Amino acid sequence: MEATIEVSDLRKRFGSVLALDGMTFTVRPGQVTGFVGPNGAGKSTTMRVILGLDAADAGTALIGGQRYQDLRCPLNHVGALLDAGALQPSRSARNHLLWLAHSQGLGSKRVDEVIGQAGLESAARRKAGGYSLGMRQRLGIAAAILGDPPALMFDEPFNGMDPEGIVWIRGYLRSLAAQGRAVLVSSHLMSELQDTADHLVVAGRGQVIADTSVAELIAAASGDRVQLRTTARTEAMTVLAHAGATVAVTGADTATVSGLAAEKIVTLLTENAIPFSEVSAHRATLEEAYMELTRDAVEFRAAAPEEAAR
Amino acid sequence: MRMPAALHAEWTKLRTVAGPAWLLAAVVTLTAAVSALTVQANRCPAGAVCAVDTTRLSLTGVQIGQAVVAVLAVLVISNEYSTGMIRVTLAAMPRRAVVLAAKAAVLSSLVLAAGVLAVAGSLLAGRLILPGHGFTPAHGFALLSPATPSVLRAAAGSVLYLALIALLSLGTATIVRDSAVAVGIVLGLLYLFPIVANVVGNASWHRHLEQIGPMTAGLAIQATTGLRSLPISPWAGLGVLAAWAAGALLVGGLLLRLRDA
Amino acid sequence: MTAPTMTPYRSDAPPGRDGFAQLVRAEWTKFRTVRGWLIGTLIAALVTMGLGWFAGVGGSSSCSTGNGPARSGRSCAPTFTQGPGGEPVTDNFYFVRQPLAGNGSITVRVTSLTGQLPIMNNHLGNPNQQEQFRPGLQPWAKAGLIIKDGTAQGSAYAAIMVTGDHGVRFQSDYTQDTPGLPGAVSAASPRWLRLTRSGDTITGYDSADGTHWTQVGSARLNGLPKVAEAGLFATSPIYQSFTENFGGGSSGSEEPSTATGVFDQVGLSGSWPAGAWTGSYVGSGDYSPGIGSYRQSQGRFTVTGSGDIAPVVSGPSGPGGPVITIANLLIGTFAGLIALIVVATLFITAEYRRGLIRTTLAASPRRGRVLAAKAVVIGSASFVTGLVAAAGAVAVGEQIARSRQFIFPVSWATELRIVVGTAALIAVVAVLALAAGAMVRRSAAGVTLVIAIVVLPYFLAIIAALPDSVADWIVRLTPAAAFAVQQAVPAYPQVEAIYSPAGGYYPLPPWAGLLVLCGWAALALTAAIWLLRRRDA
Repeated sequence: MEATIEVSDLRKRFGSVLALDGMTFTVRPGQVTGFVGPNGAGKSTTMRVILGLDAADAGTALIGGQRYQDLRCPLNHVGALLDAGALQPSRSARNHLLWLAHSQGLGSKRVDEVIGQAGLESAARRKAGGYSLGMRQRLGIAAAILGDPPALMFDEPFNGMDPEGIVWIRGYLRSLAAQGRAVLVSSHLMSELQDTADHLVVAGRGQVIADTSVAELIAAASGDRVQLRTTARTEAMTVLAHAGATVAVTGADTATVSGLAAEKIVTLLTENAIPFSEVSAHRATLEEAYMELTRDAVEFRAAAPEEAAR
Repeated sequence: MRMPAALHAEWTKLRTVAGPAWLLAAVVTLTAAVSALTVQANRCPAGAVCAVDTTRLSLTGVQIGQAVVAVLAVLVISNEYSTGMIRVTLAAMPRRAVVLAAKAAVLSSLVLAAGVLAVAGSLLAGRLILPGHGFTPAHGFALLSPATPSVLRAAAGSVLYLALIALLSLGTATIVRDSAVAVGIVLGLLYLFPIVANVVGNASWHRHLEQIGPMTAGLAIQATTGLRSLPISPWAGLGVLAAWAAGALLVGGLLLRLRDA
Repeated sequence: MTAPTMTPYRSDAPPGRDGFAQLVRAEWTKFRTVRGWLIGTLIAALVTMGLGWFAGVGGSSSCSTGNGPARSGRSCAPTFTQGPGGEPVTDNFYFVRQPLAGNGSITVRVTSLTGQLPIMNNHLGNPNQQEQFRPGLQPWAKAGLIIKDGTAQGSAYAAIMVTGDHGVRFQSDYTQDTPGLPGAVSAASPRWLRLTRSGDTITGYDSADGTHWTQVGSARLNGLPKVAEAGLFATSPIYQSFTENFGGGSSGSEEPSTATGVFDQVGLSGSWPAGAWTGSYVGSGDYSPGIGSYRQSQGRFTVTGSGDIAPVVSGPSGPGGPVITIANLLIGTFAGLIALIVVATLFITAEYRRGLIRTTLAASPRRGRVLAAKAVVIGSASFVTGLVAAAGAVAVGEQIARSRQFIFPVSWATELRIVVGTAALIAVVAVLALAAGAMVRRSAAGVTLVIAIVVLPYFLAIIAALPDSVADWIVRLTPAAAFAVQQAVPAYPQVEAIYSPAGGYYPLPPWAGLLVLCGWAALALTAAIWLLRRRDA
């Protein structure tokens, strides 16, 4: 059984809204694939189509080469957390997992295992309606891994988690990938994925904007800029510009230099006896890289603060 | 995905929340209580001719108990829609027709079981109370006994009736997906036919309305006397209700397959 | 170093007004922006009208022949004799009369009232069977004195009479009835009766001894001509035997009965120009058997008659055939109610389902006022819907029914009361549903609860196997009492019939019935507000 999720050329329209417009990507085993994009980019719809909940107008979504509808015990092939609140509040967490296990021909032993893995032992027999959002996320994660599937999908799993929970879930997602599973995690907050995802699928307006490894993306966004901190800014700028660099002032004693390697800058400044306190390669955050990519695809741009205040 | 697993899952769902158990208990007690009160309210004075079908009289509570059955059946599916759990269900069991069939099977088994208790309680009340109210064997009213074929038909038919009401409600709720709307439609379907038929003066229209109404037709199964004056024969009447239930389930199942969850 | 003083932020936006009207406006905006609720409201109006029109068509396909009221021309609608007020009446009796010109009076002693009742044959299959009689009196068998505007059917009259079971009565113009001396009449305890005319006013007196007279009642017969017909009469209504029927009220068989009154000591004063008595049967039609006779010997009159001088009542005990009341055109109220119950319940439970209630209560922390505002909105919306639906059902339904069925005529005031009352009924039930929804916080439970206390009692009262006495109490105590507001035809105590909810008769007066429902709604709303304040949102 191949642990992949393949999505190709999905199209779907809800009335006048084009939700999916040729969404195509592959989630590979052994790594955490981040699925990011602004609200309304089609992330949740894609996941629902993968699970056979929504029917795409065109295109296919395959789990290990099979359509979801053809899987005999689907939770043994792919587990998913879509909406943590999607449970009957009067049923206990353990019983929620129990009926789900029974639907896959699994027993209560497996239920108790996943309750332990999700850290829900103490609360498992309480009504799920009384759970905090973070606990519901843990319950949803327990439901996703119930069938011990080679592929997993999580829609916004960090929502409502406390810092401790976020650290736990990051580690947990990495460990799932390390076991050779294909893990797809959607989020609209890049910072959450910074230290978790290996690979990124960036969606916007129903399409894939970028499909790249996290390392490549950050390198591309960082460019070859160098951060310079010096008390003699004017002299430094003259010397560097003379050597062919472009210098942009960013503060009273800081500037960004592009067009020269960091070593060359250090040499030039030393030769001309210009004092400096820092020369460092600029490294873009994932957030910056993402903003650059999706600048055109953001559907709902926040109003400027002045406008919002009115 | 196999049917047994789906059945197991749906059974686990039903037994792990308190609601269904309470509603089933309500079906039994309400049916038997209303039956007993109705029997208690009727009397046949000595010397009078009473055109009363005592079996049917003793089963009056079914007319009220069915409302609770309808609520139970509606909630089986609409609760999943209102919480969004239907997506978890359909992701776990992608064959949607199997899910609906499993729900229908588990639900109707439970309602059949509750129906047996409700009907037995009603008939027992009739058997105990009726003779004291003038409905004595000397007066031409035999003691109610399931050994009488017509009484057995009325009793078994009433149990089936309740199960069919459950299926009709389940199908309706699958179509409309909202509990309030579904309950409104089902109770409207059940009670409006007799109410409207009551004011239609034309005898043949009156008869036709009673023949197509799920409740008026279905409850013909309770009759043990005056079968000729019934709008529809007992088993044919139950068949009409079965057709309603099958139609609702079929449309519901089709929509469940076609619609996005 | 002084800390920089920070001016606290103050909004430049003009402060919103904090009044109940604003709350109502907010709730109205909530209501009108949910498409499903508007559709539900529309459906409520449409089914109410549609079922009403259906009931209007309801009898068209069969114009049954045989025993039934006379029908006019090509239309299937039966026609009835109409009384002075336009109401359908029966006017059948044996009349021993002579003209009375101008003022005058007639006095008589009644020494006996006897009668014949049919031996009821419960198997209605054999119409050719010879009718057989046994001695007995129909409770409203009548014999006495009458002054009448000629012998035309439905003409005005006033009469004083002895009756089978109800003592002496003074009756006029079919609908009016006043009691006099109680007790049965016999040779040992005869009754003296007197009827006097003075202009248009007729006054009736009774006496147990012929010397001490008591005025029983008087009536003004507008336009009574100078020469009226006056004299002795006897009549006896159709005798009905009812069987409590399982699954549909009662069924009965109806056959004519007769009454015979014996009069003597006839005294006349005033102008009686003819000077001699004429006996004849007044009335015709399939329901009056035309039985009657009189004998006169030595000042002793023996008058036998059959029929009735009374209003016709509708319902199962009425004259059969396609006869409906306006209330029948409003049968769709039940369907409309169910639709609006769903909408009204969802109006509050939908807030609980997704936690919107917290936003609502955060925006207006005075919780009681929130629910009151919701009640105002749902009540008004339902009232308008109900008004449109009821008016449409009645107005169009009457047009549809006119050529097919006989609609009991009612005054415009009654019609207005029924239409506005139905709208009020719908509005108050919607408020009740809102309150129930707020109490139970679950849609299905709320809807079921309200249908169970509003529609089911009516269903139980008219359909199920409950004796009429139990059914009466059900429509007195439950919210279904409010359907009394739809009663189109009054119950006449002087006409023997089963006045059951199944026939459109309610034990409570119209507005009292509506008040019972209002009581339920007020109680529920109070409880809901109390719970809303007390519970965490």
